[in-house]
Amino acid sequence: MTALLELRNVVAGYGAARILHDLNLSIGEGERVSVIGRNGVGKTTIVNTLLGTSRFMGGEVLYRGRALPKIAGHTAATCGIAVVPQGRKILPNLTVAENLRLGAALGRKGRWTIDEIYRLFPILHERRNSSGTALSGGQQQMIAIGRALMANPDLLILDEPCEGLAPVIVDEISAIFKNLAATGVGILLIEQHLNLVREITDRFYVISKGSVVRSGHVASVSQHDLQTSIMQ
Amino acid sequence: MLTNALNGLVYGSLLFVLSSGLVLVYGLRRVVNFSHGALYMLGAYIGYSIALRYGFTAGVLAGGIALGLVGIVLDLLVFRNLSDRNPLVTVIVTFGVFLVLEDIVKSVWGTQNYTLDPPAALAGVVEIGGNPFPAYRLFIIGASFLMAMILVVWLKFGRTGLFVRAASVDPSVAAMCGVRTDLLGPAVVGLGAAFAGFSGIIAAPFLSLHPAMGSEILVLSFVVSVIGGLGSFVGAFVSAMLLGQMQAFGTVYMPELASLLPFLLMSFILIWRPQGLGGRSA
Repeated sequence: MTALLELRNVVAGYGAARILHDLNLSIGEGERVSVIGRNGVGKTTIVNTLLGTSRFMGGEVLYRGRALPKIAGHTAATCGIAVVPQGRKILPNLTVAENLRLGAALGRKGRWTIDEIYRLFPILHERRNSSGTALSGGQQQMIAIGRALMANPDLLILDEPCEGLAPVIVDEISAIFKNLAATGVGILLIEQHLNLVREITDRFYVISKGSVVRSGHVASVSQHDLQTSIMQ
Repeated sequence: MLTNALNGLVYGSLLFVLSSGLVLVYGLRRVVNFSHGALYMLGAYIGYSIALRYGFTAGVLAGGIALGLVGIVLDLLVFRNLSDRNPLVTVIVTFGVFLVLEDIVKSVWGTQNYTLDPPAALAGVVEIGGNPFPAYRLFIIGASFLMAMILVVWLKFGRTGLFVRAASVDPSVAAMCGVRTDLLGPAVVGLGAAFAGFSGIIAAPFLSLHPAMGSEILVLSFVVSVIGGLGSFVGAFVSAMLLGQMQAFGTVYMPELASLLPFLLMSFILIWRPQGLGGRSA
């Protein structure tokens, strides 16, 4: 079966520095996959490569079996890939509602409308006219998730979505991700917290020094085994 | 008194429309465009030539549209490459563009002054508070406010206006959401240049056309942008209105200081609020 997204022998980095070395990774339609690894091993560079913000130096990125000839900033979105970026990246000059509307820039139709997002996160409806950055960290993460869902994506990339959040908010957001996973949207989770990895995803890739060093099914390995793979 | 206030409103309106173009370009590209005054001048001259042949309305449209196209070309050739460059480089390059455009104007139209009569329908005077006031100046106020309203409504409520505001803060986030930021740049710079062109030809029957008109207005439009806070439309509006009134009353009540007043105001504002009236603190 053709993968929804496939990275073949991808080499990428910043300036002259190579961060990813012949990285191979694939995600099927509706699949839930995690990329795990320590800080600085190149996890976010995978996302940046798909967003055209890192320097693509070699290899291939295939979407539904077709190689993407040039990856610009909007390429991922036009392919149906939405991103909840590390650090959330909420725009301060836009209101909560405008930040959400920005996610629907391409006008893809689907389940997710602004009313659906407000049903999922009622606090965003209450604060819809506030500046996006006037909200708490957890609420800003809700905006980032809502903005990504507004694109009605085929694949949702979550880059360390629980980073810097209070445990109670992490629990709330984890529950939402579990519900999202049940809707059939593909998920690529970039994460260090193995609990979230086990709760949401079925397959995993362990990254070290810019390459995949281990992959498999989450259910077939113990938490301790995964932790050991990351630390190696 | 009322006539002075209205004259101030006329000049302030023109300054605001012109500064809007500067604010648009700076907001998206982070380029302080020193060629903006030359775009205003070129719009006035192109509009003047067309107006003489085909009438005033055609001249206004030609001034705006032609400069819109010039803006698109400028963005593709120059501004796109200046984003994120050292501010000194952007100053030198855009000032170079200013000099080139100024020389083009001198080569095509010569160095003499031209005057353009207002259209017949706007050539008369209107009684306001018992004082006669030129109808064309009221037209300048109306046209400027219309352009300002179109711009504000588009930016605040339009879909592409939302994209422009998003890209002006973080182009990578806008692109991540699917916005073609590569197309947005030429469109916005084209619009900014079109505003300069429109204000040039609309100002032509009010101020005369001469090769120094670009540099004269450029300095004041920068004062407007700096007082207002670079990138802030609300700040530019308040600042343009203040400067307009200052110019109108200053020339009457303290003519020897009139040309200094805008710079004094700028100095006071920058000491009190370095980011300008509507700017965000760093």
